[in-house]
Amino acid sequence: MLFAESRMPFCLVNGLHKKKKKLIAIIILIIAVLITAFASLFLGSSDMSFSEGVGALFKTGDSNMIRIIWNIRLPRILAALIAGAGLSVSGLIMQTDLSNPMASPSTLGVSNAAVFGANLSIIAFAGGFLETGNNVKSFTAGVNPFSTSLIAFLFSTLSIILILLLCRIRSFNKEVVVLAGIAVGAIWTAATTVLQFYATDVGISAAVIWNFGDLGRATYTTDLIMAVVVLFGAVYFTLSSWKLNALLSGDAAAHSMGVNVNRLRALSMLLASLITAVCVSFLGIIGFIGIIGPHIIKRLIGHDHRFSIPGSMLTGSLVLLLADTFSRTAGKGSALPVGAITSLLGAPFFVAIIFSKRGTGHYD
Amino acid sequence: MIEIKGLSFRYSRFAREVLSGVDLRLNDGEIGILLGKNGSGKTTLFRNILGINRPSSGAILFNGKDITKLSRREKARLIAYVPQHIHFGELSVYDSIMMGRISYFGLSAGEHDMAVVDRIINEMGLSSISDRNAEELSGGEKQKVAIARALAQEPKMLIFDEPTGNLDIANEQLIIREAKKLSREKGISILSSLHDPNEALSLGDRFFFLKNGKVAFTGDSGVFSEETIKEVFDADVTITEISGRKVILKNDLQVKENKK
Repeated sequence: MLFAESRMPFCLVNGLHKKKKKLIAIIILIIAVLITAFASLFLGSSDMSFSEGVGALFKTGDSNMIRIIWNIRLPRILAALIAGAGLSVSGLIMQTDLSNPMASPSTLGVSNAAVFGANLSIIAFAGGFLETGNNVKSFTAGVNPFSTSLIAFLFSTLSIILILLLCRIRSFNKEVVVLAGIAVGAIWTAATTVLQFYATDVGISAAVIWNFGDLGRATYTTDLIMAVVVLFGAVYFTLSSWKLNALLSGDAAAHSMGVNVNRLRALSMLLASLITAVCVSFLGIIGFIGIIGPHIIKRLIGHDHRFSIPGSMLTGSLVLLLADTFSRTAGKGSALPVGAITSLLGAPFFVAIIFSKRGTGHYD
Repeated sequence: MIEIKGLSFRYSRFAREVLSGVDLRLNDGEIGILLGKNGSGKTTLFRNILGINRPSSGAILFNGKDITKLSRREKARLIAYVPQHIHFGELSVYDSIMMGRISYFGLSAGEHDMAVVDRIINEMGLSSISDRNAEELSGGEKQKVAIARALAQEPKMLIFDEPTGNLDIANEQLIIREAKKLSREKGISILSSLHDPNEALSLGDRFFFLKNGKVAFTGDSGVFSEETIKEVFDADVTITEISGRKVILKNDLQVKENKK
């Protein structure tokens, strides 16, 4: 009852007695993420003992172990934390923006565009800008993952701009946005099919392998780029928490409370899509994190964005980290693509949402 | 005083006019009721007043000042809205009411915002449910919380879209009482749409009958006549008086005694 009558002059803590549970949930999640991240440093397909791992963390002992910890596992764990947080919060924002529990970071067709970009890069340019390959030699010698990511990102951004322009012509009405996303996404998928039709077997397999979300591609540079974009988005979303809450009351009500609904929706969708574009371009398709993360947190602590934004970021990090650690440890010597694991988890989750008794916010 | 002069609206240059030349005037503390068939333009008129849609021509003046030129925040502090379908996104009652203060605090609530919300909660007798999930309340309670949220905007005018549409009789009466109290005690003007003419009569001071985007009839309760209802709703009714109050009976429901 310590907090029962507290009314402190800050939005995060008014009515703190109810908020206490939510804050505790977030603190528990922070601890869980830290423990999982630490534990997963010492888990993997190499036979590294815990003491060897700790030594390697402090850069003492076997140079191979140091390399595994610092060059392989740490960037990968950081990627799981950053991309998990980014994809999950993007999903939450999309679900709020579109009043749709099934909306995901890819609703605007961002992932389809990234896949097309990557396929174009791999199939037509053999992973580089100038090498016109489509032969085995160029795939083995010429693949430049960074340029593939860059082209994937360029097409994702192009797709986002295209959809926002389409919506600007008509309106930022929820239905218009979803339909524009489906239409533009379908174009990228069709274009990818055409591209793959003309590709060699080797080209197709390289492109398909790219599609599997894999955190093993992460480097410190890609982590830093993802972190900057995710952080920027998270700051904007957090500052807009109250306005996003107002959006849950419906467009007209939010408007009457002084919220610029169109601007809020356009900007938040743009940022959510950019976060997704960066993550997908570097790591490939990692499905369902943007649905699992927000839904777990909405069930745990509700939809209030002051809590669900940090909460969904933590849940996303935790789920992706667990999935990736599982993928690294389950397939000894050959890590399963984490995208496959999150999708395997995600499908039953969809069913659970459909059959759940309790709603998760209002959805028209 | 709100004054609407010759307001016309169409969704695009080539679309037909949804509102054409609407004139409306409501004094401070008066309750105006919009009546009309579905599609007659009631919601569109509200959307124009709220600034969601921009009028094609005409003016909306509040105490002589053109409100279409106000910023969103300024307008939110002048006119609040209670929608027909109410949602709070699973926020607590307290936070849902605090949401009405967004146009004042922007980022985070201050002492004054909390004082305003606490006062409204007390005045409206919502203290016992202030911690509850607003989404899980009954229809009448939700409506009350939505009114409280609108009042947190400290507006001069309230717009109600079919406030009793989804309520049982007890809650209908509760909301009508609340609305009357607001206009009489706080001098807030209320513009409401209502589909039931009897409810309209018990709530309103002035009545605006909309037909095909135009105000066909306007006036006090004297404007209600069998001809007016026939003209606007295309429905046959009989108007009678019970205990000195006008009552409108649908002809297919009349008891034989009334026909004599």
